[in-house]
Amino acid sequence: MLNDKIKNLKEEFNREISEADTPEKLEEFRIKYLSRNGLLSRLFDELKDVPKQEKPLLGKELNTLRNEITDKFNSVKESLDASDKQRESLADLTLPGKSKTIGSKHILTQTVDEIKNIFKGLGFAVALGPEVESDYYNFEALNFPPDHPARDMQDTFFLSSSFVLRTHTTPVQIRIMEKHQPPVRAIMPGRVYRNEAVSARSFCMFHQVDGIYVDTDVTFAELKGTLVSFAKQFYGEDIKYRFRPSYFPFTEPSAEMDITCFLCHGKGCRVCKNTGWLEILGCGMVDPNVFKTVHYDSEKYTGYAFGMGIERTAMLKYGITDIRIFFENDIRFLKQF
Amino acid sequence: MKLSLNWLKELVALPEIPVSEIIHQLTMSGLEVEDFEDQSETYKNFVVGLVKEKKKHPNADKLSLCIVSTGDSEYQVICGATNVDAGQKVVFAQIGAVIPKGNFKLEKAKIRGIESNGMICSEAELLISENHEGIMVLDNGVQEGTPVSEALNLNDTILEIGVTPNRPDALSHIGVARDLAAIFKSEVKIPVTNFEESDVDASSAAAIEVIDTKHCPRYSSRIIKGVTIKESPEWLKQRIKNIGLRPINNIVDITNYIMYETGQPLHAFDLENLAYHKIIVKSTDRESQFTTLDSKERKLPAGTLMICDGEKPVAIAGVMGGENSEVTSSTKDILIESAYFTSSGIRNTSKALGLSTDASYRFERGTDPNGTVYAAERAAEMIARFAGGEILKGVIDVYPDSIRSQEIGIRFERVEKILGYKIERDKISDILSRLGMKILHEGKSELRVLVPTFRPDIEREIDLIEEIARIDGYDNIPAVSRISITLGEKKDESEFTTNVKETAVELGFFEMINNPLQSEKIASLTGNPVKILNPQSADMAFLRTSLLPGALHTVSANLNIAEKDLQLFEVGNIFNLNNKEEINDFADFTENESLIFVITGKSREKTWYSGEESIDLFDLKGFLKSFISKFSLDNVLQYFYNHGGNPYYNVCFSIKSDNSEIGAGGKVDKKVLKQFDIEEAVYCFEINLDKFRNLPVSEKKYTELLRFPKVNRDFAFIFDKSVTYEQVSDFILKNSTGLLKSVSLFDLFESDALGKEKKSMAFGLEFFDEKRTLTDEEVEKEFVHLISAVTKKFNAKLRGN
Repeated sequence: MLNDKIKNLKEEFNREISEADTPEKLEEFRIKYLSRNGLLSRLFDELKDVPKQEKPLLGKELNTLRNEITDKFNSVKESLDASDKQRESLADLTLPGKSKTIGSKHILTQTVDEIKNIFKGLGFAVALGPEVESDYYNFEALNFPPDHPARDMQDTFFLSSSFVLRTHTTPVQIRIMEKHQPPVRAIMPGRVYRNEAVSARSFCMFHQVDGIYVDTDVTFAELKGTLVSFAKQFYGEDIKYRFRPSYFPFTEPSAEMDITCFLCHGKGCRVCKNTGWLEILGCGMVDPNVFKTVHYDSEKYTGYAFGMGIERTAMLKYGITDIRIFFENDIRFLKQF
Repeated sequence: MKLSLNWLKELVALPEIPVSEIIHQLTMSGLEVEDFEDQSETYKNFVVGLVKEKKKHPNADKLSLCIVSTGDSEYQVICGATNVDAGQKVVFAQIGAVIPKGNFKLEKAKIRGIESNGMICSEAELLISENHEGIMVLDNGVQEGTPVSEALNLNDTILEIGVTPNRPDALSHIGVARDLAAIFKSEVKIPVTNFEESDVDASSAAAIEVIDTKHCPRYSSRIIKGVTIKESPEWLKQRIKNIGLRPINNIVDITNYIMYETGQPLHAFDLENLAYHKIIVKSTDRESQFTTLDSKERKLPAGTLMICDGEKPVAIAGVMGGENSEVTSSTKDILIESAYFTSSGIRNTSKALGLSTDASYRFERGTDPNGTVYAAERAAEMIARFAGGEILKGVIDVYPDSIRSQEIGIRFERVEKILGYKIERDKISDILSRLGMKILHEGKSELRVLVPTFRPDIEREIDLIEEIARIDGYDNIPAVSRISITLGEKKDESEFTTNVKETAVELGFFEMINNPLQSEKIASLTGNPVKILNPQSADMAFLRTSLLPGALHTVSANLNIAEKDLQLFEVGNIFNLNNKEEINDFADFTENESLIFVITGKSREKTWYSGEESIDLFDLKGFLKSFISKFSLDNVLQYFYNHGGNPYYNVCFSIKSDNSEIGAGGKVDKKVLKQFDIEEAVYCFEINLDKFRNLPVSEKKYTELLRFPKVNRDFAFIFDKSVTYEQVSDFILKNSTGLLKSVSLFDLFESDALGKEKKSMAFGLEFFDEKRTLTDEEVEKEFVHLISAVTKKFNAKLRGN
């Protein structure tokens, strides 16, 4: 009868659980006793055929049995898991991991991105322009007179009498001012070309970031504040800086910004040519002649502009001494960054 | 430009401050001091020595053993020069001296077994001339022990300043002195000329005619007769050397000296060599040849401004004199040219000839039209003093239309509006006056000034503001600590490119940047390239038409250093001519942003847990698929497989949208690879990013997560080899009800057991419904249906089961 079956099952399961010493055997045990079609479930099925008055007692016994089997099962499972863990801990964990390659952006791209992020935080948009540029945008609109030595400041690759490979990213300033009325606040990263012999210090192409801000009350003091904020974010809070007068046809007054050499901390070394200072960018107030070409009223609007070379910046920051390595694409170099 | 501090001090009184402070102030006012040399520092430890004894070195025939006295001590010195002798006064370098030539520090040494405690120097070793023929022997009157810097007048400080193109006035000592006067609130002391003239009129000795007054608005001249050509006095030679020039003779040295003093280039003609004693200034009307005083024959374009005599050209105006009229040792009479040539004319000549001289450098930046007479007279005065002769009466001065100083106004309020801080009015007028400007009127809100003609860069109010700012010092401009941010449309036009690069990086690619300048052969491989008119070399004379050659170049370079497993990408612009010979308009060419992926070598190294795996076309295709998915363009782009349809790839496929090709790539053709010395298989795919970025991307929307179980089934069939994966998977998807959601290939093989021309493909099928749990029965029904459909359609045989 059911009563006997319960007793038998109890004995049987006790014997079998003691033999379940592997996860596989334990799983067999679970299927045999505890699954939907398992022995225990079948006994519960039989419960519906027993006389009514016996049901409560047998039911109780069956429940007790189920709890007992489940408890035993769980405790054996736990101890098996524990020994599993023990086994795993004996494996050679010093074996190398199964790594996956993550690529990287070129260090020049990373440098531009860093500069971009700082200026975006200061409210600047990002604008782009073409590398093949007309003489008008590259020179004329930027207040370079046709026969002026200022043009010699930038050795130019000519494509025709009226087209050049842009020598700076500054033409993009004209392009955005042509499209938008003030306020205009943007930086302009890009590739530029100079007709210079290739050497450790110069390459026929390199990258720049230009910037411009035009509005009704833009002053040199704001130019200074903005660029100092940039330099501190980019080069470090503790840098010292100075602005010294310089000349660019498209700005007046013009300046160059120096920061204390971070290699020698201003004492003077080979990199800063013993001056203690490193030139990091050129800047100035937008020349009224530039405003004239884009039909801005220079009585109403003032603005500042700046520009910096990326290669030079990256060379300083990462201690690279030969500009050519940027464009050799030696994978050992690319993987360093 | 090199400046002598001693010279500057003669022109302006400077406060007693260290040189470093003068350097700092010059730099901070816009004349950047790029380098400097303190000669007393350079020649520290060099003293005048008396050679008391000279003996032969016991162990070397060519060396002498000398005893050198410096007055208070005596030193044993080994000397190799043949001209050394007892009784000579010499330059003696003591132990610790740094020999200028070679920049090495002198230490005690044993030469062939004998101790040497110093060195007797040659002029070359001291870098005071190129003479290395023996040691330098000094005048006997100098006392031994005297520092050499004193004995040889080497007690100057030489400043090398970088002069920006807008500051021609600063290409002279007087000009720089003027800045120093403004900085240190001092006065410029312009030398006053003072000389006697003969009774003979200069105009009777020579005639000057200017025909091209457009390019030569002024020509001034002084004539000196009866000069003696000889070496310049020592002090003048030293000054000439200090500013980096070579002393030639008294006349040439004086013209150079005055140019460096005043900024006015001068030329001295031998009057006797000027036919008819005439000077005619005119431009050539045809191409011609001319021999300059450096004995070089030069081709002159038509329109070159020339100085001619009564018969022939004698100088290229403003650039260089001719061999036929230069001052020689027998010259007696001198005509000094002190002219004002327009900057653009001289610049064109200098450019055309590829010849830049001290004179042309100054003229093309702009000299002072009203400074010619002064310079001619300063030169005449010095010539009379140091070369003898008499100065003829009067200046010959051809100046038909005089160039006047310009009047400009400056508003006080405008100074503050530009600079962002207030400068006192008194300070403004003081700075401008010291810089040589004449205050015409000081109003309530405005100052009116007369700008001298030696400052051609100052034409507008803003130029005056710059002068004020740079002399007051940029350090005085406050740096604001807060800025306002305009709220409006902020756009990052580089954002898409950044996303492209970041996606490539996530896929494990490294970014390369290749030189867009290539040879014609390479650039023509992939398009119709744009030519550079003035390239550095033929290797870099054209713009790239595709990123492929650059990528292959990089692969090749890396293979050469045994880096064989590469996964690289580049984003850059490519350029193509639109069936035109030349670019005259933006429509004559295209400039497109392009992206290339390049892979070669192994996709997986051999490791302790798996074997190595070579890269193949399906790696490339897989990367591309992931890339496209990242931009949600799976449903926009279609793949096309066109073997041999592209000259650079021998297995090729492309992606298109609405029949427009967005990108193409595949296995690079062996013939193309050979041009880059590559033998390994290389796979590339290039995408036109300008097209890619404009593809219609469906907006991202949230899809309800599946709440019901998926049911997976799989089956494998034997097919004829010609049946493609895509044919079968498309067929399965088309021939099922909506319950089948995806098909994937999980096994593919061929074997003898299957039979020739047969292959096995195994597919995994995924069934689900978004709204309910599927029953076994309906999945089974669908599955059985698909088996029979595939079997029938492809004449396939179900495997296993």
